[in-house]
Amino acid sequence: MAEPRAAVRAAGRRLMRRGARGVRSVGIWKRLLTYLAILGPGMITANAGNDAGGIATFASVGAEFGYRLLWILIPITISLGIVQEMCARMGAVTGKGLADLIRERFGVRWTALVMLALLVANAGVTVSEFVGIAAATELFGVPSFISVPLAAVVIWWLVVKGSYQRVERVFLLMSLVFLSYIVSAFLSKPDWTAVAVGLVKPTFSLEHAFLFSFVAIVGTTISPYMQVFVQSSVVEKGLTLEDYGKTKIDVWVGTVFAILIVFFIVVSTAATLHRNGIQISTAADAARALSPLAGRYAELLFGIGLFGASMLAAGVLPLATAYSISEALGFEKGVSRSFREAPIFLGVFTFLVAVGAAIAVIPNLPLIRVLLVTQVINGLLLPVVLFAVLRLVNDRELMGNKVNGTLYNLAAWLTAVVVTALSLLYLLVTLFPNLIHL
Amino acid sequence: MLYLSQVLGRPIRDLEGERVATVKDVIVRLGDDDHPPVTGFVARYRRRDFFLSRWRITNLNQQGVRLNTDILDLRPFVRREGEVLLARDVLDKQLIDVDGKRVVRVNDVQIIEAAAEWRVTGADVSLQGLWRRLAPHGFLGTKRPVEVLDWADVGYLATDAATVQLKSSSGKLARLHPVEIARLAEALSYHHGSEVVEALDDETAAETLEEMPAERQVQILADMDQERAADILEWMSPDEAADVLGDLPEEKAEELLGLMEDEEQADVAELLPYEDDTAGGLMTTEFVTLPRELTVGEALARLREMAETPNMIYYLYVVESEGSWKLMGVIALRSLILADPSMPLEEAMRTEFQKADPDEPARDVAQRIAEYNLLALPVIDDSGDILGIITVDDAMEILLPKDWRQRLPKLFG
Repeated sequence: MAEPRAAVRAAGRRLMRRGARGVRSVGIWKRLLTYLAILGPGMITANAGNDAGGIATFASVGAEFGYRLLWILIPITISLGIVQEMCARMGAVTGKGLADLIRERFGVRWTALVMLALLVANAGVTVSEFVGIAAATELFGVPSFISVPLAAVVIWWLVVKGSYQRVERVFLLMSLVFLSYIVSAFLSKPDWTAVAVGLVKPTFSLEHAFLFSFVAIVGTTISPYMQVFVQSSVVEKGLTLEDYGKTKIDVWVGTVFAILIVFFIVVSTAATLHRNGIQISTAADAARALSPLAGRYAELLFGIGLFGASMLAAGVLPLATAYSISEALGFEKGVSRSFREAPIFLGVFTFLVAVGAAIAVIPNLPLIRVLLVTQVINGLLLPVVLFAVLRLVNDRELMGNKVNGTLYNLAAWLTAVVVTALSLLYLLVTLFPNLIHL
Repeated sequence: MLYLSQVLGRPIRDLEGERVATVKDVIVRLGDDDHPPVTGFVARYRRRDFFLSRWRITNLNQQGVRLNTDILDLRPFVRREGEVLLARDVLDKQLIDVDGKRVVRVNDVQIIEAAAEWRVTGADVSLQGLWRRLAPHGFLGTKRPVEVLDWADVGYLATDAATVQLKSSSGKLARLHPVEIARLAEALSYHHGSEVVEALDDETAAETLEEMPAERQVQILADMDQERAADILEWMSPDEAADVLGDLPEEKAEELLGLMEDEEQADVAELLPYEDDTAGGLMTTEFVTLPRELTVGEALARLREMAETPNMIYYLYVVESEGSWKLMGVIALRSLILADPSMPLEEAMRTEFQKADPDEPARDVAQRIAEYNLLALPVIDDSGDILGIITVDDAMEILLPKDWRQRLPKLFG
């Protein structure tokens, strides 16, 4: 008499004979879903650059310089793509975050330096997000001393209680409003010849205002936090070298898409505000670039988009910074921990939210100006992170044969050197304003 | 007691107190010792690294290293089998603390001299350890308590240098519950996570994999040696193994299936044709059948004699006759134990029970299990044969939101 287990075995055989010998074929749906799941980190990160600070910067650039600075977008697309791709590749090859790698390869002192730079830069960006919230709510007549502290408390609460992910999508949807700049750019009937000329004819100047805008553009499109972001999300998604082809496509598509949006923001503001000689000093000014599309609802549209984008980043950015710093220093992390279990993690997060909100409620703060300044800080700290990335990505022990190719490396180093030179030049011009008059 | 950070970069002096080189790294031999001994140093002299055996050293302290010889062997340093460099492979790297069940980063390494030997006793994972390395020497009074992790509790060292056997102690890791091992392995990079799983014995590895997300299971098994992967698949429950194979590329899956033992292979192969989201895809083939002509007493005796009992024996499935699969009724273990031993099974069993069709949507079946408060539900084909059972733990995985699932312990297996 066979024991039950043996009987089960017999059943297995029988079924196999029935013709079920093959392995289930993977459905088309499943393949598509995996593809969509992979299509992500690069797209999301590159477009995260178009937050409150980004919008303010591009709108100001369009209003102040018209089409003159459009040419920057082409080298910036290449640089952003290369930088993002290097970090995504490091994530896929090593399975570790950027902060992890810096700690493991460069030791404690360099880690402290890079993390400090990241903390300062991200604090600046967080301030800009809360300023964005202030500017957006003021469009609806809610004063910032009410809206900003309220937003800070809500964000802190949502994140610490672990329910931020659920509301995240609402903010994301709201920020999609900025896609309307594309339509607005066409409706504002720009001088397309001038646009084309601006796009291919480089102009440069040592004027402070020019350099300021230049560094702000670089700082807001290639922000230090984005490198950390893209690498972490590649790691979190479990993407490996096997999927790397798709990840690479995602990074480049995301980059081109993000810069395309920037292009339309600059074009629409140039065609509406610059043409009429209006400089942007308030959010209401920036909203006017949407009036060809939305008419008198332009402010409403702009306000919704700005609010969504700012709320999104004001939650994600402090959180990601806290993650990176705890990760690099080896402390407990995670929102489900208590203050006693993860003091550094929750401390950094709370600090950033509090500082961001506190600065944003300072009375009579020139909001748009503050937004621009934070992007400049980003640009100034970018070299620190860029050089770390370059050294890591070319480390054969780490990357094996996935280090940069010669030409690619040249372009990457050129980016780092130009960005650094630009930052130094800007500092020089700021500290010694008389220099350029010599 | 000494910290690694207090030794690195310190001078190496000869008999006369002359500085001859600096300490670049400290070499230890990881082995069966709970506290691995220092076997030597990497010394740096004029941009060259050479090996300094521990037997050439009389003293090691914060002032540096004192030699017992004037003759230095300047042959370049080459790492030997079984050796780990503390600065290069341990400092700043992550490790698994088996006692605290967490992944930590090493801020400093504690070395203690005992019985004329220096041994690594612990890893400093506290903020003080960081400060010690950041601040200039003696700048900060580090009198505050440090949090040092006993080296005996290190289950795995996440470094790229040494071999797997060296870095992990599967015995220590196996002290943890598979759910915890899975969580820790996922906190590491995917290379290191795979190493952790590979270092476990087949059974624990299988249980650990079952607790990981499907994509990770596939990735780990696909990268593993095929024979080993097949061994681990054999230990997994058939429904989980079938899910993994279903997600692998077809060719790879067939190869792995071919390498499995006949018995487990059949169990798994039987489940493969069903789509994931159907009752057939959700079911497992591990269940107990009993022919209806047995008495209650005989049935219990047979249960006791079974060499291998499936995890789920709370329900026993009564079939038409020995060797048949035609399901006549179901009897709960509780009723079986309470019933009169001489009563025939046919009278003790229930003939009215919930069942599922293999093509029924998995979600509907799961909901039915929850509604009727069942622990399992048989899946029956058109001819009334039992194909498998769906257990409540698999049903819950479908019903519960994802973050909830991770907090719940597994009910079966």
